Amino acid sequence: MQTFFIGFFGLAAVVFAVGVFRTSSMMRSALALLFSQTALGALFLAMQAEFLGVLQIMMMATEMSIMAIFMVMFMMDPGGLGGMDMSHQKRLSLLAGLGGVVLVTGIAAYTQWEGLASATEAAAADEQIRQLGRELLGRSMLVFETAGITILTAMIAATAVAVKVPEQGGSHES
Amino acid sequence: MNPELLLALLTGAALFGVGLYGVLSQTNLVMLMMGIELILAGALVNLVAFWRFLHAESYAGQMFVLIVMTVMALEMAVGFAVATARFRTRGSVEMEEARELKG
Repeated sequence: MQTFFIGFFGLAAVVFAVGVFRTSSMMRSALALLFSQTALGALFLAMQAEFLGVLQIMMMATEMSIMAIFMVMFMMDPGGLGGMDMSHQKRLSLLAGLGGVVLVTGIAAYTQWEGLASATEAAAADEQIRQLGRELLGRSMLVFETAGITILTAMIAATAVAVKVPEQGGSHES
Repeated sequence: MNPELLLALLTGAALFGVGLYGVLSQTNLVMLMMGIELILAGALVNLVAFWRFLHAESYAGQMFVLIVMTVMALEMAVGFAVATARFRTRGSVEMEEARELKG
């Protein structure tokens, strides 16, 4: 049953991901990406990572809504009614994408994963959250805190880049 | 080999490939960011699969997933800031028109 759901949600995620670049409507692209990421969240749930699955669905729903708003702001034709092509070097990109898939699939298929496995039974959801909390506030605390500082830095950087610089010059300069 | 692990890794590989295609083929900054999101999503699937099917007892695997999710959010925040600045100064977020950024 788990194999079926992993395959089903994995396939859904890939199909919607392909759909992102197969439409000239940016709104449809954003929605396809939202569905792809939601399918990934469901895939995490199928892999018994309950906390990460719910987090993925919540985060991506918010992120893609913001993305859709920015698209309407920045695009002349967010609905894609004009059928404008927004791509270049398609053949090279396709070759690189296919090459990437073949390479990563080859590595995944030919690695002896059995020798690397140490435990294959996941704990119950409440125990997982308890253990993750202990991990975050114990051994991995420095990494966790670094992520927090990085978010703060990115917020300041994003505000500094996006804020409108007051125009200088005019009558004062001359 | 564990079939569930293989399925998850294949999903990750496919998402990586689609994302790479998007990053290289799209001319719009927002669409380009969607490609980066897909590449990172491929990494996320792999990390969760490695945690679940190889090291389910170690929660450092889930910790890595949280870090990649943070990177995804930061990429969006900084990317949209650049897009806003670009749109304000040039009136467009088309990367074909940003050749002056080339070193």
